[in-house]
Amino acid sequence: MIEAYLIHLLILVGIYAILALSLNLAMGNTGLLNVGHVAFYAVGAYTSALLTLNLHFPFWIAIIIAGIFAALFGLIIAIPTIRLRGDYLAIATLGSAIVVENVLRNWTSLTRGPLGLPGIPKPVFFGMQISGLGYLVLVIVFAAITYFIINHITKSPYGRVLKAIREDEVAAASLGKNVRKYKTQALVISAFFAGIAGSLYAHYISFIDPGTFGILESILIISMIIIGGLASTRGAIIGALILILLPEPLRFLPIPSFAIGAIRQIIYAALLVLILIKRPQGIFGEFTKKENGT
Amino acid sequence: MAFTQLIVNGLIAGAIYALIASSFSLIFNIIKFMDLSPGAIFVTAAFSAYAFNIILGLPFPIAVILALIVSITVSLLINKLVYQPLINKKSNSFTLLLASFGVFLIVTGFILLIFGAEVKTFGLPITKGYEVLGFIITKTQIILIITSFIIFIALHLFMKKTKLGKAMRAMSDNKQVASIVGIDVKKITNITFILAAFLASIAGILVALEQNLEHNMGFLVILKGLTASVIGGIGNVPAALIGGLIIGLVENIGIWYLPSGYKDAIAFVILIIFLIFRPKGLFGTKTREENSG
Repeated sequence: MIEAYLIHLLILVGIYAILALSLNLAMGNTGLLNVGHVAFYAVGAYTSALLTLNLHFPFWIAIIIAGIFAALFGLIIAIPTIRLRGDYLAIATLGSAIVVENVLRNWTSLTRGPLGLPGIPKPVFFGMQISGLGYLVLVIVFAAITYFIINHITKSPYGRVLKAIREDEVAAASLGKNVRKYKTQALVISAFFAGIAGSLYAHYISFIDPGTFGILESILIISMIIIGGLASTRGAIIGALILILLPEPLRFLPIPSFAIGAIRQIIYAALLVLILIKRPQGIFGEFTKKENGT
Repeated sequence: MAFTQLIVNGLIAGAIYALIASSFSLIFNIIKFMDLSPGAIFVTAAFSAYAFNIILGLPFPIAVILALIVSITVSLLINKLVYQPLINKKSNSFTLLLASFGVFLIVTGFILLIFGAEVKTFGLPITKGYEVLGFIITKTQIILIITSFIIFIALHLFMKKTKLGKAMRAMSDNKQVASIVGIDVKKITNITFILAAFLASIAGILVALEQNLEHNMGFLVILKGLTASVIGGIGNVPAALIGGLIIGLVENIGIWYLPSGYKDAIAFVILIIFLIFRPKGLFGTKTREENSG
């Protein structure tokens, strides 16, 4: 019993680690203030769920297509909004996440709206259904691949261009870097991995509804990377671990579920505000200039 | 439903958005960041008025005054405990925006904790609305529209004619120069938050009379207020009024053509369109670069 519970928590940590790592590429490394990361997560989850439920795709193909759809959606969002600066990009992405949630809620012929999609099949590997510990291994494999790729990107010359854009867009452009192209690519790659995370979540919980992808999720993911430290790959994982495990003891207190939800929300938000005030570079933050300078 | 009814509904919603938009615009212009906390103040005022009036049984006017005191105090506390430390550290505007999101979640979390999840209502007796020109409007709705327009005129006169209003506009133009000529920046900051909280609170109490109270009712309202402010041109208060009315009208007329579930999406599609094609809004004078930095 306790083992199953621990496995469940670690699976969630793994999925959120992928989300935090991917957002970190766009937000921490490139400086794109994307408040709508949850939209890519939602697109991935719904794509994968609908492909397996309606068209009977195997999980392994559905998850890749989920990533690709999320990436395409990232491109659609990027084309008009990527030239917006700072806070304006933040509210544009916030708005787009709300539009996505609204469409999922209302396009009932496809998504069943607020009723959600139940019975999303578990992945099958050589005739064996993957669940429990097996699913944890699967999530860890995907999280490790994500970590490896994103770590590789950020350490490469390409990643240094992204950081240059974050630090000084004009300087990067004056050195002949196509700033908009790099920003778009960063957002698209980031969206791809969020789509993968969405698929992993959908096939694990086996039920998704529009409420799963509210804007609060975006704030949760942002809090993870800010607490871990912007642009720190290790920090993103630690952030996911802290924020998923921290409110768990509440579950064992004899209080009604709405109160648990409220306290969880207060803890997340208070931690975020505290970190912003006391240690804006986060636990593993690599730079302080941006927070203190501009 | 008659088309004229949709226009009236649009005006009612628009008046509320305009109040929130002007609250948002005030803080954006004078303190220079996008503050989502007016959404939290909106909810705080609505629930405080409910607590004083319905739970404690105080007369309505007294409940309103007490609710205003509570919500303005909350706003000043937020400024002192969260925003001022960040501003003193010269945090960038996104850090402040994110912190204000955190503040919003903390305040609404506490409201959920205190009042519980079930929907509340002032339970005003349902009166038959007046029927004019094919639309129906209730007494509460008429009060709502008139109150908000009086407040708008008062706000406009305050900003243009009084010494305080002029000091606020001076600080909006240039904080350093304002402090050199002897304007007390700290005092003006507090007055800005008081005024912004007052506007958001009035909106909250007016909405509470009209609709059910829910702890998360402030989120869409602040985002639409923000949208209204962007559409009008984030720079000035009368523009926020126009922006609010446009959002209210467009989303209500929009459901004449679209399923009503898409009502909320309409506002944000307009927001994104404006951000792309006319980020300075209809009446804005500042360029995008100046605002974002």
